[in-house]
Amino acid sequence: MTKAYLGIDIGSISTKGVVIDENRTIIARSYLWTEGNPTEASKNVVRELEAQLAEAGDDFQIVGAGTTGSARRLVGAMLGASVIKNEITAHAVGTTYLHPDVRTILEIGGQDSKIICVSDGIAVDYAMNTLCAAGTGSFLSSQAHRLGVEVEEFGDVALTSKKPANIAARCTVFAESDLVHKIQVGYAREDIIAGLCNAVASNYLNNVGKGKKIAAPVVFQGGVSKNAGVVHAFEEQLGMPVAVDPDGHLMGAFGAALLAADAGPIDDAESGPFASGTFDFEAMLDFDFKTREVECNKCANHCEIICVYRDKDIIDSWGNRCDKGAVKTTA
Amino acid sequence: MAKPQTMIEQVRSKVSVERERLRPPSLHADRKAAKRARHKAKHHKYTKAAFFRYCYYDPAFKFFCEQVLDVDYLPLPEATRTASEVGVQNSSDYVCTPFKHILGDFAEALDLGADILIQFGGPCRLGYYGELQDSILRDMGYDFIMLNFARGIEKGYIGWAKEVLKTVNPDVDIPHGVVQMKALARMIAHLDSLRDFYLANAGFERERGAFDAAWARAMDAMRACTDERDIAQAYRDTMGEMRAIPLDKPADPIRIGIVGEMFTAIDERSNLGLDHKLVAMGVEVHRMLNFTNRYLRYNEPNLRVGAKDYLTYDMGPTSTLTVLAAKKYAEGGFDGIIHAKSAGCTPEIDCIPVLQKVSEDFAVPILYLTYDSQTSDTGLDTRLEAFYDMLAMKKEKRK
Repeated sequence: MTKAYLGIDIGSISTKGVVIDENRTIIARSYLWTEGNPTEASKNVVRELEAQLAEAGDDFQIVGAGTTGSARRLVGAMLGASVIKNEITAHAVGTTYLHPDVRTILEIGGQDSKIICVSDGIAVDYAMNTLCAAGTGSFLSSQAHRLGVEVEEFGDVALTSKKPANIAARCTVFAESDLVHKIQVGYAREDIIAGLCNAVASNYLNNVGKGKKIAAPVVFQGGVSKNAGVVHAFEEQLGMPVAVDPDGHLMGAFGAALLAADAGPIDDAESGPFASGTFDFEAMLDFDFKTREVECNKCANHCEIICVYRDKDIIDSWGNRCDKGAVKTTA
Repeated sequence: MAKPQTMIEQVRSKVSVERERLRPPSLHADRKAAKRARHKAKHHKYTKAAFFRYCYYDPAFKFFCEQVLDVDYLPLPEATRTASEVGVQNSSDYVCTPFKHILGDFAEALDLGADILIQFGGPCRLGYYGELQDSILRDMGYDFIMLNFARGIEKGYIGWAKEVLKTVNPDVDIPHGVVQMKALARMIAHLDSLRDFYLANAGFERERGAFDAAWARAMDAMRACTDERDIAQAYRDTMGEMRAIPLDKPADPIRIGIVGEMFTAIDERSNLGLDHKLVAMGVEVHRMLNFTNRYLRYNEPNLRVGAKDYLTYDMGPTSTLTVLAAKKYAEGGFDGIIHAKSAGCTPEIDCIPVLQKVSEDFAVPILYLTYDSQTSDTGLDTRLEAFYDMLAMKKEKRK
């Protein structure tokens, strides 16, 4: 038996999963759309990973798991994960492991974007988009839909443009009305797409990257890093090469798996998939996971408490601001 | 010529002077007091005053109402989401968040039976808010007296006191009020130093909840005070209690300094419990910004000297304090700084480029937080957790 660790990154748009072995190399990877259903998506990811592990042979046994991304808490409860980490830390850990000399990590995901400054392999500063979701993956995919182009082809189309259209980058609302205008006056499609990629890059640098020193080597990751047009726009605007790792979109999941490996095997789980010490795929896939929101009426604050059920058992709850609203787990 | 005093007379006079000195401070002897009280009972309306919710200064507000203004104080219950929603519904979307919270609090106070609303204004746009909230609330159909500290401020201290205090209570005893104002200043300073101690140590309590319990008792003790002597006693007792709480504090804990806007950086409802979240992670928290440093001991030109590499002019209400505090924390080897402001707070937005310079010069990370009237703290948790992880990993590596 060889020990392995599972890492899952459940984002708003896509769900990523990796399995690493004890030498911290990725032995299985999966990338699927979340489609508004994080529990089902992570089940599917786990299913894919299981199939890949079976193919790899070598009798890998998963002994620890980590989750990250916006549904980390929910899926963490489902998996009985030992590490539930925010995506910023997970990305920093994952990227600095693969690229120890990196100085700046640019990351654009489905709903958020962040920049992480690294010095000596340690994250020293970060910023995350706050009030505005401009220039994130979901914006690009909705605009791709408007233009009738698959978002996967977006980058290649953009690279064919000779003269990118100038599209306002301040805010998605303005960008969108600018874009519609340019379409209606008959700009070539590739010029508009290239203009959009430029707008995403400059919006990112003006908002998230504002005031941060962007030093080379730069690594760009997150779903949008698969878009060659945006990569090109970044290289042009920064005037330095921007590296994209082939596993760049999996970096959060990889970071979570690394953190789980640091935490070591789970040996004290009383129930859940890790009850036997190794990950039991059936235990996770067979159960039905549901989330219910309960309003606590024990004081005037009316906290919304989120309870996660595995079939009929409450396995986790959060959202209460005081102990009065604490919900007992029944599993 | 007066007859020289005999020995016994001298002793007698000394004793009586000494006794007078030891007598607890009381209302000055006023032969007309009884008559006035009778008059007041007959003519003066029984009034209840309410403040908005602001940080941990509720005992000071109570003291001000009861001891200075001589009106009843209407304490507001713990904030609920409804209060903020009423505020949001009735204010312009672009106004800064404190306005919305305060408006909601006022509406709630009026629903609970307040006759007088007190708005102490502030050093920025907050100074104009009293006037605006007054007319919004009247448009909503409420009837009340607004005591707006921003009014009559141009008339100097005495003129202001007369103008402001008399709008509420025509019988207000000004000399007595002045004495109690001094006590009030003392109370605010004590509340701030209690809070400073709490922030620096609550993250390391051995028994979970000990500091919060001590803090609640301190608040109750302060609420029960009626004069300066009580305040001093309450401070000694509760501070002693807090110091006695056993700690597990590492020699070199993670230290974070909070800087930012007057309302959001301090008020836990506005910043979604920032203090508690940091303390729960086991962080030593410092915050120079408070009433004492901004009002009681504020000397802007001298404060600016400390940050003269960064500031040439007074940039706004709390800007000097924000920049100076950030610089002090950076120089003092703090692990990180958190800058908290409400959305659309122009003075603090102006501070950000300066803070970025401080961050670069001292290589200290700064987390910028902007709050609107949101109630979900998921995004905040993610950012704080990541910030903490980053600082912790950095510290680990440096060892």
